[in-house]
Amino acid sequence: MKKKSNGKWNQYLIAGLIMTGLAVLLGIIGFFWTPYSTTAMSATEKFMAPSWKHWFGTDNFGRDIFSRVMKGMGTTIVIAAFVVLFSGIIGILLGAVTGYFGGILDEIVMRITDAVNGFPSILLALVMISLLGKGRQNVILALGIVFVPSYVRIVRGEFIRLRDADYISRARLMGVGKLRILFVHILPNIFSVFWVSVMIGFNNAILAESGMSYLGIGVQPPDASLGKMLSDAQSYLQTAPWYALAPGLTIVWIVLGFSLFSEGIRRRT
Amino acid sequence: MRYLGKKLFTLIITLFLVSVAAFLAFQIVPGDVVGSIVGEDASPEREQQVAEELGFMENGKKLSPAVRYTRWMKGVLQGDFGVSYRYSKSMNEQMPVKELIGDKLPVTLWLAVISMVFIILVSIPLGVVWARCNNKYLDAVLGVITQTAMAVPSFFLGIILTFVFGILLKAFVPGGYVSYKENFGGFIGYLVFPALAVAIPKIAMTARFLRNSMLTEMKSDYVRTAYSKGCSKRRVMYGHVLRNAMMPVVTFLGMIIAEIVAGSIVIEQVFGLPGVGRLLISSINTRDFPVVEILILYITFVVIFVYFLVDILYRIIDPRISEK
Amino acid sequence: MIKIENLSVAFEGTEVVKNVTLELKDGEILGVVGESGSGKSVTALTMMGLVSETAQITSGRILFDDVVLREAGKPLDKALYRKYQGAEMSMVFQEPMTSLNPTLRVGKQVEEMLRLHTDLTGEEIRTRVLETFEAVGLKKVKEVYASYPHQLSGGMRQRVMIAMAVILHPDLIVADEPTTALDVTIQNQIMELLREINEKEQNAMLFITHDLNLARRICHRVAVMKDGCVVEQGRTADIFEHPKEEYTRKLIEAVPSRLKKRVSVMERLYPERYGEKPGEKNEENSEEREKGIPKIAAVRDLSVYYRDGNRNPFSKKKQHCVVEGASFDIYKGESLGLVGESGCGKTSLSKAILGMNPLISGEIKLETIRPQMIFQDPYSSLNPTKTIGWLLEEPLRAVGKLDESLAMTAEDRRAAAYDMLHKVGLEDKYFGRKPSQLSGGQRQRISIGQALITGPGLIVADEPVSALDVTIQAQIMELMQKLQEEMQLSYLFISHDINVVYKMCDRIMVMKEGKIVEIGGTEEIFSNPRQEYTKTLLKNS
Repeated sequence: MKKKSNGKWNQYLIAGLIMTGLAVLLGIIGFFWTPYSTTAMSATEKFMAPSWKHWFGTDNFGRDIFSRVMKGMGTTIVIAAFVVLFSGIIGILLGAVTGYFGGILDEIVMRITDAVNGFPSILLALVMISLLGKGRQNVILALGIVFVPSYVRIVRGEFIRLRDADYISRARLMGVGKLRILFVHILPNIFSVFWVSVMIGFNNAILAESGMSYLGIGVQPPDASLGKMLSDAQSYLQTAPWYALAPGLTIVWIVLGFSLFSEGIRRRT
Repeated sequence: MRYLGKKLFTLIITLFLVSVAAFLAFQIVPGDVVGSIVGEDASPEREQQVAEELGFMENGKKLSPAVRYTRWMKGVLQGDFGVSYRYSKSMNEQMPVKELIGDKLPVTLWLAVISMVFIILVSIPLGVVWARCNNKYLDAVLGVITQTAMAVPSFFLGIILTFVFGILLKAFVPGGYVSYKENFGGFIGYLVFPALAVAIPKIAMTARFLRNSMLTEMKSDYVRTAYSKGCSKRRVMYGHVLRNAMMPVVTFLGMIIAEIVAGSIVIEQVFGLPGVGRLLISSINTRDFPVVEILILYITFVVIFVYFLVDILYRIIDPRISEK
Repeated sequence: MIKIENLSVAFEGTEVVKNVTLELKDGEILGVVGESGSGKSVTALTMMGLVSETAQITSGRILFDDVVLREAGKPLDKALYRKYQGAEMSMVFQEPMTSLNPTLRVGKQVEEMLRLHTDLTGEEIRTRVLETFEAVGLKKVKEVYASYPHQLSGGMRQRVMIAMAVILHPDLIVADEPTTALDVTIQNQIMELLREINEKEQNAMLFITHDLNLARRICHRVAVMKDGCVVEQGRTADIFEHPKEEYTRKLIEAVPSRLKKRVSVMERLYPERYGEKPGEKNEENSEEREKGIPKIAAVRDLSVYYRDGNRNPFSKKKQHCVVEGASFDIYKGESLGLVGESGCGKTSLSKAILGMNPLISGEIKLETIRPQMIFQDPYSSLNPTKTIGWLLEEPLRAVGKLDESLAMTAEDRRAAAYDMLHKVGLEDKYFGRKPSQLSGGQRQRISIGQALITGPGLIVADEPVSALDVTIQAQIMELMQKLQEEMQLSYLFISHDINVVYKMCDRIMVMKEGKIVEIGGTEEIFSNPRQEYTKTLLKNS
């Protein structure tokens, strides 16, 4: 019962790669070049509908929305990537140690994880921001800490599952060192599961970051951000609905692209 | 029963830890709270009076955080939630947090409840129909729709709903609101669209989850047994698979409670509803910590309590656990 | 009367059942035997209309009393099948735990059979179910009726499954490895029950098994399958005594049996002391043995404890004893068999000897470097993310790290790994492959290589062949004996299969409830078991 031969590529993977690739590409370009200045205002070009000149139209200050979306996209993706990196690494370390060894440390970490899990993630991030202050680094730190428990849970569960696997018992029997068992023998075996949660985590980070900046507690001006653009646009919904549509659909584009991509990866294996 | 006791115990421990963390976190934040309330040119007497009212001092002496925590907790347990730093009731009196929160709570809670009702009512039938459907195209269409719905942030969904139903179709007045005290029906009416904005992404998630759970169960040995008895697919689905497939879904629904509460808080901003979410955000922005502390404690309590209920429910519906 | 004519079944273009023709008369038990992948289960499932919808019937048809149930080129007629499933033909599956719905009371699950196929009222249904429960030998039927599957033992669950299968007195019962998941003693009872039912009801029974001994005991006729084809079929006695086909002969030969002559490695290693006078293997002889042959392990008054309960460090810990006061020796080059029912402490004892359980009292003296282990399941005992070469080198790396003097260069390790690969009978090309690219037997060879590469004198083998097909089983046992002779190894050989133990072991140790109840030479134990417990153990297999 072999799998289909075209298992390497599927529609999900292709669509996801194209969407994600485009978003990342535009985001990166946006750091260096945008069609128009993202800050230059113009009283004469206020609220222009989408056209060839301004693909996504202009906002209440006459700024080019497409340029601003490019900038915001870059910021959002970079922040999300750092959040995943930060929480993923800490999650692996804590999950590995608590899962494999158990004991008091495990108990303490699990209680904390339970408490954090019981608390809505975006709220916790808000509270941390109110303690740390606003700004890009603090958003990464706050969301990073907030997402650690979800990784700890998954990694810990996998380590508990594999701790008693025959091949790990055998490694212990051979006298392989503890660290080597943790990171050479077990860790590669959890990557398929971990990868899935990284994908989910990345999307959650994007949604949380834009949610925070929508509430005005995320990235601060002059940094462009999709969430902040949305909250600005909301006041002009009647006169310029495209203003809200551009950043909103961009978020959907990034998240959808990435989840199609991860679905594609999942189906491939 | 012993299990219940144990669970209850961890629930209390968790709440205790959260309360300590919430209280202490805001004690280490720098800034002269009293000074910013009374103003720079206030008399030392007035300053001391406010400091005592806020619980920082007693009889001219500063109190340690431990003592303050104990007093605060004692108050909370007796229903005294302390006073706000920012809001004043009158010239010489700070606003009690309790009054501040009082009529905002029902808004947020009702919003969360209506969202949950939407999620349960729509996602479960949708998931079942999806799992049963043999049509390749319908399956793919549902897949794309749910995947897209999951990618939409709820606040953007709220904006779209406002635009389509509020501005174009005039089904409600954007930014409008009727208090539940005046007109309960109207109040619920204003919550329907915000609840939809919270619910739609979660509906997609839950329906997908249920469908996958059912498809996994369909591969079980007991399904083969049921077929070997001569059961039809319909009977296998409803008589055998659904119940087993619902078990993880119940846990899943319990887990997204926290997300629904979070979603409600964000969505209040979009629709301009006077719930605790807006209060929380403005309190964070103005560093009104007594309000933040109480809200954190309150939200944690609600969420953990719901987890607790789900846990009990799970034990009732899954015989494998309840017997042990 | 049920006929399968010329049946071929294909999955995505690959035929897994080829031109199979079988016929079952009323009152007859037909055994279909074969190794995994031989197509025996697919044949049965196709006959029952339970094979997955991706399967295609490429030729032939299935007849039930001259009604065509299934025919090549025509889609599955579900409505027609539903009339037969349960009422005229029913099935008993291998794994009674997963084959019952975990969230429904078993009584309700059996009732469903009657609700689907009869017009009986609720009260009549209940009475009928309780009667059937009694008929299949269940006690306290009312309690069983209201139980969930997890509350019953494995044997009880299988009885419930059988009750479900017989309640409508079908003409055909298909039993797919019905005893494989059960303990030896329970296995026997279930076999008896099936035989009784067949005699009383005179229905046809299709008995699918990999276990030739079982087939021989219960079946009137036997069909041998290999790679989707029926190789040979005929009366049981004919097949077993005068097999016509080469494969059948090989299969029968591979089955370990007490009737065959044992090959003893000890005899070859110590011809002057051992085995020359087989008739005199008695107490005196054992004492004499101790003088000449070096011991590799001496265990004195060993007790092993386990901590109860969970990982929660705050909960109270109770220690309880799983092995009590065990004393025995293992000699160099010897295979010591360890037998007993599941839960008797076999595994705990072996773990203690391996040094994997710190909670012990008593003394274990080893005259060798750290003993190693061969595990039961070849699919979970090799790390799936590593290559075979890496897996064979890892023990050497670990040893090198523990003891500087034993450290090897990367090249030496590589050479040693290749050498071991050849020793366990595999070619160079496997060196770079992952475990998933190997068959079960090949994996078990690697597993043995991993255990042996550091050169320990003692190997604990925990059911090393019970997850394998018979022909592979025979090959692995042969390999183990070959290596034992070459490297003068000692095995502590754990198995539930008395016949395997007979073939492999020089002495046998019998455990019951944490205690060693009997220990002695293999012939001695088999011909003259002293303990009642040993007798039942021998009788049940």
